[in-house]
Amino acid sequence: MRWAALGAAAALALLASVTLGPAGIPLGELTQSDIVWNLRAPRAILAFLVGGSLGVAGAGLQALVRNPLADPFLLGLSGGAGLGAVVALATHLSGPWALPLAAFAGALGALALVYRMGLVAGAALDPRILLLGGVAVGAFAAAITTAIVSLADAAELRNAFLWLWGGLSAASWDTVLVLALYAPLPLVVLFAAARPLDLLALGEEPARYLGADVERVKRRVYIAASLLTAAAVAVSGVIGFVGLVVPHIARLTWGHRHRALLPAAFIGGGALLVLADTLARTVVAPRELPVGVVTALVGVPVFALLLRRWTIA
Amino acid sequence: MRRLLLVALLCVACRPATDRAAAPAGPITVADAAGRAVALAAPARRVVSLLPSFTELLFAMGAGDRVVGRTAWCDYPPAALAVPSVGDGMPPNVEAVAARRPDLVLLYHSGANVTAAEQLAGLGIPAVLLRLDRLEDLGPAARVIGRLTGRVAQAESLAAAMDTLAATKPPTPSPQSLVFIVWDNPPIVIGHGSYLDRLAALAGARNVFADVAAPSAQVSLETIAARDPDWVAVLSDSAAPPAFAARREWRAVRAVREGRFLNLPGSLFGRPGPRSGAAVRQLRARLEAAP
Repeated sequence: MRWAALGAAAALALLASVTLGPAGIPLGELTQSDIVWNLRAPRAILAFLVGGSLGVAGAGLQALVRNPLADPFLLGLSGGAGLGAVVALATHLSGPWALPLAAFAGALGALALVYRMGLVAGAALDPRILLLGGVAVGAFAAAITTAIVSLADAAELRNAFLWLWGGLSAASWDTVLVLALYAPLPLVVLFAAARPLDLLALGEEPARYLGADVERVKRRVYIAASLLTAAAVAVSGVIGFVGLVVPHIARLTWGHRHRALLPAAFIGGGALLVLADTLARTVVAPRELPVGVVTALVGVPVFALLLRRWTIA
Repeated sequence: MRRLLLVALLCVACRPATDRAAAPAGPITVADAAGRAVALAAPARRVVSLLPSFTELLFAMGAGDRVVGRTAWCDYPPAALAVPSVGDGMPPNVEAVAARRPDLVLLYHSGANVTAAEQLAGLGIPAVLLRLDRLEDLGPAARVIGRLTGRVAQAESLAAAMDTLAATKPPTPSPQSLVFIVWDNPPIVIGHGSYLDRLAALAGARNVFADVAAPSAQVSLETIAARDPDWVAVLSDSAAPPAFAARREWRAVRAVREGRFLNLPGSLFGRPGPRSGAAVRQLRARLEAAP
């Protein structure tokens, strides 16, 4: 029942996303419209993939660090991606993929640095250090970014921040294809870790006694979640809130078992971002709102409501 | 041509006034855009200009030799490049400005610059904030700068030409349409009431986002495609198509598919100034020359 409801919500969101838009295309012409095929459809699918990836990454990381505040962008990746984008602009890297690739490389750099900091004594991954290291690396990368932007005399560098918070306007079948080929591997790694993640909730010691290879699971979950987030930021910038809130909402309905929670977070995150992007494109047309603004405007009231129910129950 | 003639006539007509204006009897007082009253004992001899438009105006009214500081963006006229730069001016580096020992600082009227002007005033350096967002602001700004530098007559002839340009009715109907792309991801375009919107109208082009009541706004790519402009205009010093032209999603815009780009040099088109009329003529010529 709840799966059917979630599936229906996702389908409705996708349908709304391709039928609604500032261009006002009549229903009868939808299937022939170039705007629908080449702009709305890839954008809807990209939004779904990005939202789903962020939802799963958030759920995995919250289980890994055993902290409900964990958000995929808390781990320094947005700072690294921003630095990559600014360096690409400052060095005049050209080509349509220069910016996303540079941002991806920056995010991977941040990932590697945080991972190395989190490896205590070269072996065990300490979740607390991952969080603190992520915040520190993110702040450091942001400082370098701001230094480059303020020292360089190129006006376009200031626009790197626009790019970083850009949202889904770069969606095309190319970006959809790249993400659709890339995302399954880290997703499968996370889904495969569902059972050990359940055990990890009991604490590392009990999980170990129950047969989980704790260190391997922690490393895999961290790297897979970060790789998902890095790709998301490379194709759509920093979209806050989805990775933080969708796992919590999913947990309220599907409980703490990751075998159900992770797929629910994927579909729920995808549906939320598709819906948010549709609103971003339409409510103030012909202007457009940054999609992160809408995810927060839609998500926070829902979250607050559920949080109240949660604390009362 | 008619405008040039008008300028020439005004210059001749005002010539006797120059001598009187060059040696004012009392102190010069102006009320700036922030409502601050600024008084100079005598016309300024050491001016720091913190906006490329002001620098162009100063040189155009023959006060270029009084400019002792400029921003990193002030690249016209070429003689301005010989003046020491005090940084990018965003926000102004008050210490670097003060180090030029100016007796007048000209600032664009913005929140951050009001603070800088107050700090300069605290150091005993007269600072004047001027509005310069629209074509209509040019004439008044030129007149104020003229009074402050004792170039009243030259400033008046400049200002009169600019007022004429600002009062010109755009040719109707505009046969060609364009969109100004300020940034591609997310797409940010120029809307109504902005300087570039006016330039386009005066050059005989219709800005397809003239209904957006903001100088610039984020819009959907879909809206750009649906409004189907004849031209995509970008501020760019190179003749090459902008990088986003190679991105697949932009192919949904007909003008991008057909490579109909107007690359407008930022120094000429990016700022209101004495060359605004030249910018209009150049844009009109490019639109007329195109098929």
